[in-house]
Amino acid sequence: MILHKNTLLLPLLATLLLMASCGKDDDARPSLEDGKSTVIYDLPGDTEASMGDGAEGKTKRPFHIFLFRLRDQRQIWIKTRADSLQWLPHGEWDLAFTGPYNSEVFVNNALDEFNPGYGGGARHSAVVLCKQSYESLDEAPADEVFDASEVGKIGWAYSEHAPGWFRYSLDTHIMQALPNRTYAIRLPDGKYAKLQLINAYQGNPPAVTNMNWPAPYFTFRYFVQEDGSKHLNTR
Amino acid sequence: MMFIFSCLTLGATAQDRYVIQGQVLAGDSTALSGATVVLWPDQDAVLTDEQGRFSFGVRYEGTYRLDVTHVGHRPLAFPLLLAQQDTSVLLLLEPRQQQLNEITVTGQSGPVDNLIKAKNAAMPVAVITRREIELMGSRRLDEVMKEQTGVAIVNDIAGGSRAVGVQVQGFSSDYVMVLIDGQPLMGRNSGNFDLSRISVTNIERIEIIKGASSCLYGSDALGGAINIITRHGTIAPQAHASLMYGSLNIVDGTLEAEAPFHHQRGSVVASANYYRTDGYNTNAGYMSAGTTVPPYSNHSMQGRVRYRIRKNGTFGLTARYARRQSTMVNVWPGGWVSNDHQSDRDFNGSLSYDHRFAGGMRSMSRYYFTQYHNRVRATWINAGNLVGAEAFGQQVHRLEQQFTQTLAGRVQLTGGLGASIERMADQSLTGVKPLSTVFGFLQAEWSPLSRLHATLGMRYDHTSVYKGKPSPSLGLQYALSSAFTVKGGIGAGFKAPDYKMRYQLFYNPTANYVVVGTDKVYGVLQTMDEAGELSYKNSYMVGLTASNLRAENSLSSHLGFGWKAAKHVRLEALAFYHHIRNQINTVAIANGTTVGQVFTYRNLPRAVNWGGELSAGWQLTPSLELSAGYQYLISKDLAVIDSIRAGKFPYNQLLNDPATGQSRPVSPGSYWGIEGRSRHMANFRLHYEYRPWQLNLTVRANIRGRYPFQEINGNQFIDIYDAFVPVHTLFNVTVEKKLLADRLSLRAVADNIGNFTHMYMPGQPGRVILGGINYRWFKN
Repeated sequence: MILHKNTLLLPLLATLLLMASCGKDDDARPSLEDGKSTVIYDLPGDTEASMGDGAEGKTKRPFHIFLFRLRDQRQIWIKTRADSLQWLPHGEWDLAFTGPYNSEVFVNNALDEFNPGYGGGARHSAVVLCKQSYESLDEAPADEVFDASEVGKIGWAYSEHAPGWFRYSLDTHIMQALPNRTYAIRLPDGKYAKLQLINAYQGNPPAVTNMNWPAPYFTFRYFVQEDGSKHLNTR
Repeated sequence: MMFIFSCLTLGATAQDRYVIQGQVLAGDSTALSGATVVLWPDQDAVLTDEQGRFSFGVRYEGTYRLDVTHVGHRPLAFPLLLAQQDTSVLLLLEPRQQQLNEITVTGQSGPVDNLIKAKNAAMPVAVITRREIELMGSRRLDEVMKEQTGVAIVNDIAGGSRAVGVQVQGFSSDYVMVLIDGQPLMGRNSGNFDLSRISVTNIERIEIIKGASSCLYGSDALGGAINIITRHGTIAPQAHASLMYGSLNIVDGTLEAEAPFHHQRGSVVASANYYRTDGYNTNAGYMSAGTTVPPYSNHSMQGRVRYRIRKNGTFGLTARYARRQSTMVNVWPGGWVSNDHQSDRDFNGSLSYDHRFAGGMRSMSRYYFTQYHNRVRATWINAGNLVGAEAFGQQVHRLEQQFTQTLAGRVQLTGGLGASIERMADQSLTGVKPLSTVFGFLQAEWSPLSRLHATLGMRYDHTSVYKGKPSPSLGLQYALSSAFTVKGGIGAGFKAPDYKMRYQLFYNPTANYVVVGTDKVYGVLQTMDEAGELSYKNSYMVGLTASNLRAENSLSSHLGFGWKAAKHVRLEALAFYHHIRNQINTVAIANGTTVGQVFTYRNLPRAVNWGGELSAGWQLTPSLELSAGYQYLISKDLAVIDSIRAGKFPYNQLLNDPATGQSRPVSPGSYWGIEGRSRHMANFRLHYEYRPWQLNLTVRANIRGRYPFQEINGNQFIDIYDAFVPVHTLFNVTVEKKLLADRLSLRAVADNIGNFTHMYMPGQPGRVILGGINYRWFKN
């Protein structure tokens, strides 16, 4: 009887211990840092507007736009008419984070009537959506491709042809960045760059476990080729 | 079959004045050793020795009951009136022929206010007894359920941080009906029924039906049912008090009293329970303070009165009231603090009249009323604004007439007719009409051959909104030998679309879209059109959905066997296949000029859950018992496979391995399955009883294989690169020591000893250690 017990129990216990000891750290994501790109972690968007669903007696105001300049990582808020007049028509910014949760991103462009920089100084800028990973984009597309690109707003990718950077789940109400969406950019100053938008939730979590996870806090990375060439290799 | 063998006067110990002793025999008069004999109300349990003998010392004369169980035999409940002398009884157990996959059967006695039998669903039934719950040391119903084979408790992020539900054989909580004494409980959060609302105090046993069981309970029992049977009747006045305290400042206090009155013609049972917990934070990596498991306090009261007005007629009245208060705080970096307050109330009351007619017919007339109210309000404290607020109330009146009748000794019929009316008050829904339902059912148990047992069932539900819905079922079992039985069954289930799917008008200002219930689609689109706010409308889809939502339905089937492999070893195995059609999901139907997209609900083609279940029990020695359970499950939405095949966006996107950055094309094989389902689940239990010390030890290990938590790479289906909960084992141990002739028991409980927590399991707290004391009084 004792023998029987042991022959069953030992493998059983061994299996259990094996299962219990399985690692729990399953965040498979490699570091975003590659030594060449600039990685921005948790850049707060207009959290004041987003984090409240119109308390009683208050009307919910729209989200304030903010601009971002790649060369010095400067965040510029557009909260008043004076801010708009001072900043929007100039070529002194690269990205604009607009719309709900600041989730709709524009590259400064003077010719697109929906662009915050419409009528301003950025007349030659353009964006091309490259459906490949950030690491693998080694070369910016040809200028003809930039010239022909119609990419304007980079937001919710609700259809195959939308150049957006995220999908929105109707079940969980959570934004999820799409893989293989890297944006090749011809900046207002003519330099070439690549951009990956990674997360809109605080702390860049691999998955969001709470519908009220603080947002928007942007995590994204980019590389600007300072020598003016199209080489965007960051590996 | 049983009879009192003789009445002898024997010597008794100083403490115990009388002896109840006896012998348990099988049908062929051989002695049954290892049979469990429980003496009620003392709850003294012993196993019979080699000669099938047992004995109890008791202190008082009065009415007792002996519950005898033995693997392979039908359980026996034997009432015993102890005069002022020792008593000896001879008990005969009949071989078990018609237990359909009852995984554990100990000391059960039939419900007193419901004639519908769980096994008539023709689906596998698992039964959890009061004693098993005691040995587990569990406090809330969710804790008991998650240790059962094929059952899981999962968080539903889509329903908010409080949405927790039970999953049975791959069916989500929406499809699992929860009943108390055969009457449905109300109150769901996005379809999730939070079982932690229910205290296990006062539960006599729990029946879990795995698979479509609408033939018993109608709509909502599409994938299964959990029926809680509360305590009833008593033979001697008694009271009991228990208190547990430990980790997370958990307090679980219970007071319970029961007594017969008017010369045993009536009985009354009353109990009250208080429970509180501090909650637990599984997300310390991102959330600086606060909890993901909500802290809450819960008060509940429950009572039952039964009175026999004549020899063959008994009135019953039950009432239950439960109230929960919870304030959950979440503190995030950057000074974001949210405060989420919930309060809910639940009332259930029923009246029944049980009548036995001369010809063997038994009738049960039942009226049931329930009301549930829930209010949630969450605010960002630092900004002083609202995260969300909702309130809803639900009310049901239900009238039912049941009967049973045995025909020519071979066919047993159970039938009934009933009607219910349900009202819903929800501030987010408008134009909601009451839902009235009329139903009728008939179930037959038939043994055409001595080795063959068949159950046939049919139920028909007719609602004020939907077409009639028939739910048939058929179960067969055939005894190949006395030790080996083959069993199978097939049954249908359905679930009528809920109020939200029909009446909702939900606008999400932050993402700028609208979800409209199907009954309101035409009206909303017309209003938008008239206001010039409609830019595109998918007329085909509108025609398909508007006022045209069908009930979801399922077909469950299973085939398996029960095998008594050796004297003390039993083994059961079965394969199951559930097919769900017309599953309801959101679909885009229009685009607006100011509102981005307009969604409504539609029926999707099909989903399947299939797999197998194994369970085994081994009584190694009379005091050591091992049992194990295993489930293999594949749960897939076939619409996803169709969409991948058809190359639809976003299903067609390349799969990107975030670890290597490499991408590859998708194929139907890239689809892992539905969120929250593990392919492998197993549990192991060891129960050791050291009788000289009146000590019980149970050790349990519950293993869950990895399962998907959330789709994170935007292709709208689960692939291997999505967020998964890793494989893990939760170890639980309970030690119980009885003292003072079983009056006092001390208990120590350790749950999740390995302290396994994961951010993707927001509802699973870490290690919990509790100590408790339980005292029982008997009237002299």
